[in-house]
Amino acid sequence: MKREDTIEIRWHGRGGQGAVTSAELTALSAIHENKFAQAFPSFGPERRGAPVLAFNRISAEHAIRVRSSVIKPDIVVVLDPGLVTLINVVDGLKPGGWLIVNSTRSIDDLQSEFSGDWKLAVVDASSIARELLRVNIVNTTMLGALIKTTGVIKIDSLKEQLEVKFGARAKANLEACRKAFDTTVISSITTGGQKKVRTFAVENLAKWSELPVGCVVTDVGNTKQFCTGDWKAQHPVWNDSKCIKCGICSLFCPEFCISQQKDGYFRANEFYCKGCGICAQECWTQSITMVEEA
Amino acid sequence: METLSIYAPKLITNREYIASGHRACSGCGEVLAMRYVCKALGRNTIISNATGCMEIISTPLPQTAWEVPWIHTLFENASAVASGIECGLKALKRKHGYTKEVKVVAMGGDGATADIGLQSLSGAMERGHDFIYVCYDNEAYMNTGIQRSSETPFGASTTTAPAGKASMGQHTWKKNMAAIAAAHEIQYVATSCSSYPFDIMTKVEKAIKIKGPSYIHILSVCPTGWRCPSNSTIKMGRLAVETGIFPMYEIENGKYTLNIDLPKLRPVEDYLKLQGRFRHLDKDNTAEIQEKVLEEYNKVKRLAAGNKAK
Ligand SMILES: Cc1ncc(C[n+]2csc(CCOP(=O)(O)OP(=O)(O)O)c2C)c(N)n1
Ligand code: SF4
Ligand code: SF4
Ligand code: SF4
Repeated sequence: MKREDTIEIRWHGRGGQGAVTSAELTALSAIHENKFAQAFPSFGPERRGAPVLAFNRISAEHAIRVRSSVIKPDIVVVLDPGLVTLINVVDGLKPGGWLIVNSTRSIDDLQSEFSGDWKLAVVDASSIARELLRVNIVNTTMLGALIKTTGVIKIDSLKEQLEVKFGARAKANLEACRKAFDTTVISSITTGGQKKVRTFAVENLAKWSELPVGCVVTDVGNTKQFCTGDWKAQHPVWNDSKCIKCGICSLFCPEFCISQQKDGYFRANEFYCKGCGICAQECWTQSITMVEEA
Repeated sequence: METLSIYAPKLITNREYIASGHRACSGCGEVLAMRYVCKALGRNTIISNATGCMEIISTPLPQTAWEVPWIHTLFENASAVASGIECGLKALKRKHGYTKEVKVVAMGGDGATADIGLQSLSGAMERGHDFIYVCYDNEAYMNTGIQRSSETPFGASTTTAPAGKASMGQHTWKKNMAAIAAAHEIQYVATSCSSYPFDIMTKVEKAIKIKGPSYIHILSVCPTGWRCPSNSTIKMGRLAVETGIFPMYEIENGKYTLNIDLPKLRPVEDYLKLQGRFRHLDKDNTAEIQEKVLEEYNKVKRLAAGNKAK
């Protein structure tokens, strides 16, 4: 059983975005403050670009014996703005808890997405990271928002951890963190937006207990129902005037999602495209350009 | 042949036997290699797949990307399961008048092939089962996060053989699986690479016609584990071949043929410098690798030339 004084955090990010580092830095900072803490990721079959989870447990009083993943978090931090509409990020979030989101959207706009008895905080961490770190990796920036809203760790203890982990780059990371601290917007009331119930892709899947003996899947090729298109950070755009219809782009697409249209030109199916950029790289007439996702 | 593959990709069937929606990393070369293998295999195939990236990314239960009969096996027994399936098919034919020609194929990563499943593969080849073994060699245990295998190249940094003050990463040379397979005196052994779809497909088509075991070793570019950009996958495979680091050849009844014999190899540096796993290597390391690559390449070249002279 979880002790009452333990604070549990769930981090939502994408593979490669550094949610695990966020969790680690949080735990190390807490330990630095003589608290007990855990940090661990959740391993799934998903890869770079796919939604991933990381967890923290922090206790000022007791050693933490629970080792399972966090089901009922006190705090949820979302690193990737796109995940809010993709995954049920508030699943299990405790009444009175915090949802902290990286987004360019206004707090009122975001609030209308959810209904629940918890508090919301929003920060445009991507812009901060791009400005101060020159990359859209928000794992350290979001720690500023976490500190501001919840105070689970102190910024000074984080500072030391950043110095150990990032050396010369610690300064910029700390600056990003401070800026997030200063600019995080917090809702004064608990959210009570539309009573809209979303369904998420994973909820439509068969449960393990519904599978036949031997785990035989008879619905062949049913990964086709699964959208991998939301893993991408950029997408291909074709300039048909240069295209000689050779089909090379289609041959080398690892998602098998480029096909020839009726007019003979090629296009990617955005539902699967992961934005690897191979098609643009391999097209010898340079008919394809990769464009950042908005 | 490769020129043909550049000009005529439309000659390749549109039919896919692995569905989109699989969970491989963005830019994965291994899933591309598997796609070409399956296109050549076609429908009448039963696949026994050792655990590893390709097994995990294609079958997130209750979903499957597979459109041919496919069975998940452990690390150590993909070839043993394939042997059993092949015997089962034989029994069906003998006792129940089953007539369809079905090819049994075992596949796995380099860890599953060169390390953990080597005994069952050796056994199946030695017993002479009618099956194809395909190794997708991404040069480490990638599914579990880049641990070294016996196929990891000299000098590469992995999580279990990391480069640092005291070590330059992997300090052993890549195991020669093609030679090990050929030592079983099977009829067909070939090497290929994920950037050469036509080469892969031609070799798989040859292997299908063999009655007995055949072995295909495919260097499969893994941008995640090799620490290179996801759009460089195809280029990286070509560089592996053009530098001579990974020669593509066939061994048919013991006779070697070098499929792509370049008049002049590119320096290995062209390949090494683009990958994070080799970033730490200094001039001396690179020179050592260059020397070894030429030695091994010339070995294959001599074997192929000796074969021509006969
Ligand atoms: C006997 C055993 N040891 C370890 C594992 C865990 N494991 C699953 S996949 C994998 C790595 C596979 O590596 P490889 O065969 O090279 O294929 P790749 O993932 O690189 O394609 C490991 C270590 C296991 N399933 N069984
Ligand atoms: S590779 Fe380029 S030229 Fe060829 S079909 Fe695709 S877009 Fe057109
Ligand atoms: S970027 Fe191009 S090659 Fe990569 S998944 Fe998208 S369409 Fe396919
Ligand atoms: S780790 Fe490498 S081989 Fe495995 S899915 Fe990712 S890119 Fe492909």
